[in-house]
Amino acid sequence: MKTNSITRKFEKMLRLDVTYTDHIENLKITGDFFLDPEETLDQIVTELTGITIPIQKDLLIRKTRYILDNNEAELIGITVEDIINTLEEVTQ
Amino acid sequence: MKKFRMITFTSFNAFTNMALDEAIMEFVRKGISQPTIRFYGWDPSAVSIGIFQGVRNEVNLDATKAAGVDVVRRLTGGGAVYHDRLGEVTYSLIAPLDMFPTNIIESYRVICDDIIFALKELGIDAVFSPINDIIVNEQKISGNAQTRRNGILLQHGTILYSVDVETMFSLLNVSNQKISDKLIKSVQKRVTSVVDQTGASMEDLQKALVMGFKRNREIEFGDYTDQEKSRAQELVKEHFKNDIWTYRL
Repeated sequence: MKTNSITRKFEKMLRLDVTYTDHIENLKITGDFFLDPEETLDQIVTELTGITIPIQKDLLIRKTRYILDNNEAELIGITVEDIINTLEEVTQ
Repeated sequence: MKKFRMITFTSFNAFTNMALDEAIMEFVRKGISQPTIRFYGWDPSAVSIGIFQGVRNEVNLDATKAAGVDVVRRLTGGGAVYHDRLGEVTYSLIAPLDMFPTNIIESYRVICDDIIFALKELGIDAVFSPINDIIVNEQKISGNAQTRRNGILLQHGTILYSVDVETMFSLLNVSNQKISDKLIKSVQKRVTSVVDQTGASMEDLQKALVMGFKRNREIEFGDYTDQEKSRAQELVKEHFKNDIWTYRL
């Protein structure tokens, strides 16, 4: 099992803390971004926990966008692509 | 146009300040309290962190403990802020969402324009810097954060009156990336304050902010209701002073 953290500056800061084997065991998404409604982040974390590595970027971008759309959520300061690209980076 | 209640500057501890915001949101939503603009300070000094921030990543907890500085997690996004007991005015605006633009950045702009007006009254030429800052010559003088819950908008923010940069950065774990990205060599040069810019007093700043927030709204001055104060004390215990909330990330 590996544990890794990464911080990236987009329009706002994004930090991912990940514990993983051949799949993601545990994921924490933190930063100074805005997300309305805030509870949407818990759903994104749930969706991304358990996924296999290497990650399927396009699929995860679509799934994460679906969660945002489904919650009529607005993510400000970072994008869905920022999250997924950073997730790929931290699990490589 | 709905009339706003304006509550003039009073200081509370960090937990009560954040709990009052949530309590007022609840009562505005129920139609019991008027839309509200409140001005306040932080006593003792405190660090507030954004709802999505990791407290251990952002705050030097040994330093805050040693300095007697409270740490509280906000309801809003955004970054960690050091609230000096004597160094800033904080405001909260709580109102039904339909009184403001649906677009989040536009709603920031509308409210930040009131602060920019106030700073102009003091001779400070400030501008809105999306997403959520007000700057003077590229230096931040005001940070703002917003949440929208159950049809109610809460925006709160700080206006720096004087800034103790050394203390601020001894309490916050500021990311090197965040600094370098702004191409500013010195951490100290990232922020400015009313005192840095002009000879205005704290009272001048408070009066100017009252003018700024009054200019486009119907206002009546008021105070916290007993219901709001009582609910806030419940929320302090349940929520803001509760380690489960503060250390959840």
